[in-house]
Amino acid sequence: MKRRRKSCVKFKETDQSATTTAEFSFSLTRIAVSQICQSVGYRSTDSSALNTLTLITTKFLQSVACLAASFANTANRTEVNLFDVVNGLQDISLATSDCFPGGSTLHDSESHCLIKSAVLRNLSDFVTCALEIPFAKPLPRPEIDGSSRGDLTRVARSPEMKSIPAWLPPFPDSSLYLEHCTQNRSEQLWENSNSVTIGGETLLKNSKSESSIDRSGGRLPQRRARVRFKVERDWSNGGGSCTSDTRLERLRDDNDGGSGREFDFKNKIIDEFIYSAGIAAGEWPI
Amino acid sequence: MNHGQQSGEAKHEDDAALTEFLASLMDYTPTIPDDLVEHYLAKSGFQCPDVRLIRLVAVATQKFVADVASDALQHCKARPAPVVKDKKQQKDKRLILTMEDLSKALREYGVNVKHPEYFADSPSTGMDPATRDE
Repeated sequence: MKRRRKSCVKFKETDQSATTTAEFSFSLTRIAVSQICQSVGYRSTDSSALNTLTLITTKFLQSVACLAASFANTANRTEVNLFDVVNGLQDISLATSDCFPGGSTLHDSESHCLIKSAVLRNLSDFVTCALEIPFAKPLPRPEIDGSSRGDLTRVARSPEMKSIPAWLPPFPDSSLYLEHCTQNRSEQLWENSNSVTIGGETLLKNSKSESSIDRSGGRLPQRRARVRFKVERDWSNGGGSCTSDTRLERLRDDNDGGSGREFDFKNKIIDEFIYSAGIAAGEWPI
Repeated sequence: MNHGQQSGEAKHEDDAALTEFLASLMDYTPTIPDDLVEHYLAKSGFQCPDVRLIRLVAVATQKFVADVASDALQHCKARPAPVVKDKKQQKDKRLILTMEDLSKALREYGVNVKHPEYFADSPSTGMDPATRDE
């Protein structure tokens, strides 16, 4: 006896380390289930049996909810009403016939309405007969922003997301997508892209600071490092590719330099003109 | 005509009983808290602002658990008790929810629970009682 009690106590000690929403809700359900077991007449429970019964309780709740929601969705509704819940309970009662007898009498010709449902009658009897056992511990009340318990459904109803319909699934945790979005934004700029910051983490950190500036309205900072451009001409191949700009520059440089060069350059231009005029007249070079 | 009137009256009575039941749910406090039930319902796509429906599901769940537990208790009581000298200890030991009774009770509700033949609840299970710190 002592051994079993000790195991229960040990389990409660581990409850305090519950961090996630699922663990927290599961431990709350376990308290409620143990209270119900106590009210039935049990003195103590094995932790494995209590865990199993708690798990089955959560499965029962979720299956009732799924059935009721599917009945509502079939009727083109997003909000569940009493008849959907009763229909769901009837379906459950067919599976667990010992719990709710009379589940199969729903679609009889005599009982046209769900009001006559045997499940509802049983529940009504249960409410009148069974003792009221309130939950053992006070639950923490949700704060205004709804982030106290980490309940995702409450986050979806926060005032910032009023435009999102209530029937949509809850928004995922912001920590999952915020970092990803920042990274994507930094990738829009070439200097912050991975091709530049591939060198190491220090560069990434620098780029993060720059991306934070970009997020502040896309304005450039007042103090910036100076950028200098130096253009070098390569005269080794006759001035590189002879585009018009370089020709003009050459002409200007030659004017500064001397008249001999100017004469050669003019001759070259004249030769080119004659050559192109010959091609236009139909004299093809052989 | 007469038959129609009777059926109409019966329907009216049923309607009144249902309204009364739903009103009684407002005063009834289920063991499973509303917030907890609401969390599990919302997780499964159940959207409803009416507290009475949430309490209806909570009451149904409470009834299910209570029925399973009482069935398991019947299995526990029906089992022949081991011979123990101390009578008080024997009485206490009989009222423990074990996996054996629970799996028997759940089988009647269509839930097949399989558990390993040897299952240690805690690291100290199976150890020598003298070495265990009580």
